[in-house]
Amino acid sequence: MSSETGFDPELYDRFPTREPRPDGELAELERVWHAPSGWARFTVVNNNYVGLWYVGASFLFFLLAGCLALLMRAQLALPLQGLLPEHVYNQLFTMHGTVMMFLFAVPAMEAVGVLLLPQMLAARDLPFPRLSAYAFWAYFIGGLSFFLSVFVGLAPDGGWFMYPPLTSSTYSPGINADFWLLGIGYIEISAIAGAIEIIVGVLRTRAPGMTLDKMPLFAWGMLVFAGMVVIAFPAVILCTLLLELERALNWPFFDPTRGGDALLWQHLFWFFGHPEVYIIFLPAASLVSTMIPALAKTELVGHNLVVLAFLATAFISFGVWSHHMFATGMPAISVGFFSAASMAVSVPAGIQVFAWIATFAAGKPRFNTPTLFVVGGLFTFVMGGLTGVMTAMVPLDWQVHDSYFVVAHLHYVLIGGAVFPLFAAFYYWTPMVSARPLSERLGKWVFWLMFAGTHLTFLPMHLTGLMGMPRRVYTYLPGRELSATNFISTVGAFVLATGVLLFLVDLARNFRMAIARNAGNVYGGGTLEWLPTGLYSTRSIPVVHSRQPLWDDPKLSESVEQGRYLLPNSATGRRETIITSPLRAEPEYLQIMPGPSAWPLFAAIFTAGFFMLLTVKASGVGVACGVLAVLCVLRWLWETDRQVADVQVDAGAGIRLPTYVTGPNTHGWWAMIVLLVVIGMIFLMTLFSYVYLFGVHPQFWIAPPDWGWIVPIFGLYAIGVGAAWLARRSMAKGARLWTPAVLLLTGSLALTAGAAIDLWSWRSLGIDPEFTSQAALIHAFAVEQALLCAIGVLFALYIAARTSRGLVTRPRNTSVDLATIFLVYAAAQGCATALVTRALPGAM
Amino acid sequence: MRAWLLLLGGLIVWAAQFFLLYAIGSIFLTTPTARVLTGAATVAAVAADVWLLSQARRAGATATDGLQRWLAYCGGMLAGLSIIAVSWQGLPALLA
Repeated sequence: MSSETGFDPELYDRFPTREPRPDGELAELERVWHAPSGWARFTVVNNNYVGLWYVGASFLFFLLAGCLALLMRAQLALPLQGLLPEHVYNQLFTMHGTVMMFLFAVPAMEAVGVLLLPQMLAARDLPFPRLSAYAFWAYFIGGLSFFLSVFVGLAPDGGWFMYPPLTSSTYSPGINADFWLLGIGYIEISAIAGAIEIIVGVLRTRAPGMTLDKMPLFAWGMLVFAGMVVIAFPAVILCTLLLELERALNWPFFDPTRGGDALLWQHLFWFFGHPEVYIIFLPAASLVSTMIPALAKTELVGHNLVVLAFLATAFISFGVWSHHMFATGMPAISVGFFSAASMAVSVPAGIQVFAWIATFAAGKPRFNTPTLFVVGGLFTFVMGGLTGVMTAMVPLDWQVHDSYFVVAHLHYVLIGGAVFPLFAAFYYWTPMVSARPLSERLGKWVFWLMFAGTHLTFLPMHLTGLMGMPRRVYTYLPGRELSATNFISTVGAFVLATGVLLFLVDLARNFRMAIARNAGNVYGGGTLEWLPTGLYSTRSIPVVHSRQPLWDDPKLSESVEQGRYLLPNSATGRRETIITSPLRAEPEYLQIMPGPSAWPLFAAIFTAGFFMLLTVKASGVGVACGVLAVLCVLRWLWETDRQVADVQVDAGAGIRLPTYVTGPNTHGWWAMIVLLVVIGMIFLMTLFSYVYLFGVHPQFWIAPPDWGWIVPIFGLYAIGVGAAWLARRSMAKGARLWTPAVLLLTGSLALTAGAAIDLWSWRSLGIDPEFTSQAALIHAFAVEQALLCAIGVLFALYIAARTSRGLVTRPRNTSVDLATIFLVYAAAQGCATALVTRALPGAM
Repeated sequence: MRAWLLLLGGLIVWAAQFFLLYAIGSIFLTTPTARVLTGAATVAAVAADVWLLSQARRAGATATDGLQRWLAYCGGMLAGLSIIAVSWQGLPALLA
């Protein structure tokens, strides 16, 4: 057998060990992983608590957005109803879509990932527990603040995709639109933090022996999901930033009279917005693919094909964004490309559906509640998928664009593809975190009410749309034959809500949080989350030999609980987990994990303060909150990246692992690379915007500055890179105490000077960001580069502070490594900016 | 990295071809030039996929364990799928 890291796979044969374990190991694990109580409970960072709170918060937003939907349906029950005035209705449909997409669907998937992944991978926790806690609190506090805007009449009202020019300051004065732009920008930080956590967690904390081909499908789904978040979300971060800059500073990115273009928003938004549908669907599909083998009592048919379908969906979904723009008058050939891709994306979804049907056919399913939700979801999703293929055909799309037909289609896809699978998951996995399972009897009622309600609501909507009723209108006239279908839809919505209400009753009656003394493996799942667990996850970390380890080794639970596998204790007396290699999951080193801390919570509160106070134009206090948020993040990081006394420890059966490692194989390095991909995507989208606006309005473009400016700009960036590289190298050469920090600061300042000269070269031509979109984008590039330089300076000061306290390990240190990578990236982005902005000719 | 490229190569080829076609469509609009360039990009993408397929077959033949066989199988399947996908993606140039 081959090895990825030099680890000898034959060492796995030592497990399960036979010798008796020393007394007190379990008590020590429980002490180390103990959760604080009382008010201090809010400082926990363990995935069991954070994951469960996360799931609960996302479900709360589902309920809140559902209530908004009921109000809208009540308004539309009859023609010319006066229940909601027009402007309130506009706010409600905007908030319903926004909250469901940004505060329920995506966070719910991340939440389930945070809760399930460590258990399923047999890791003690995700690799950055404080980041998970920050992501949760940022999302919860930010989401609640955002939602409260609806009670004071300040909720956004431009639809969940907020198209300009409707949302420009001309047509949407006031701060309603700003709530959306800043609120959603803020929540995306949380989503990206969660995605980084999931990517590094899945690739680096799997149980030894869990090679990629044996990885659970839920882990595959979450890996692909997180990768898509990292690629897609930067586009919406950029477009919200650009629109906010246009509204606040009058920079005309979307104003065609000054070289901007409203369609740029649509391109950027839908480059995020359509993959978003699969970002929601893939984790839900992976939940289904994980549950079905247990529910049907057989292996999943076509396991490998399902993995391939996940990967294919992820790629193809980035080629379909313009099918939301068929009605905008794109070139016929481009329309053809997007139509073809939109049809192609249904193929991988179809593969999954057939794999599920085949598994049910091959197995012996019992029609319990999770099975009903899975089958009901499958049925509903297929119906939504078929209308999706219909709307991929351009002539039909032109007919039904912005009508209730599209509303029906998207609800069929999202309810069938995400909501029903989530409810199946609630019933299936509740016994893992609760002392009692949910009620089967009530669960069946919940299912049938929700299933009937869904179809009663949305099936007639196809007809409503085909009869010509546009979406987003607060009423309709009598005598247009729209009354009957609308009334049926309203009745259906309340039936659906009754099902959800009954689910709440079931939760109240039966859900009792319990990690250690949970109800257990009620449905007979074969994956590792059903091992006996505590807050430390499993007592010992098993070696994995198959895809359904609990089915293939009936004694595994007992051996794991007796500590007969890896890490049966706390080897260093601290929280720790095993970092394994990405392909073969070979043990590489022991990660020392941080414990409970209030700093992630404070950081989230101040981050919320920063964004919300900026929204209400309290800039001074808002900036102060931003500074405090950064300080809180630095304070939580302060306790990390430290060497412990035991340089190497026995991880079980004589396998010795180091406790501090630096270089490209560390989890910190991986997280930094993923973060740089996010930043790189924001930059790439800005470049796209620059080239796009040049393409549509070249007459507004002026000739770039002289190419001679490139010499000092590139020279300063080269100095920045050289100084950063020397900082890292000087550590290895035994440099003096302050040398690395001083070199990093020098590098950051050189980058700042390079960026300043680049901007100066443009401003010397007399450009003003309020006059043309070209000038506005040049300044947007400068803003991005300035942010990178500021972070570089912050890195240098942080290293200096750690140096002063003797916390920088030598000859190598992870914090210095990460600062070096960051500065090298910042220099590369600066060079690319200088080159591309000069590459396009000017017309003026 | 080689393992990831073997696994994802077919999809990367599809993505590269798609964004190239988008650029061609946006720059040259619906013109004969766009059709010719689309055809050329499609032929190049199919050639890349065929090469990937041969690499996957070779990797499968020399695999010594389950993971290597799995990577070769999945890489080969995705390269094969990519041949169909890029051909499908190029069709609008002939029809539109």
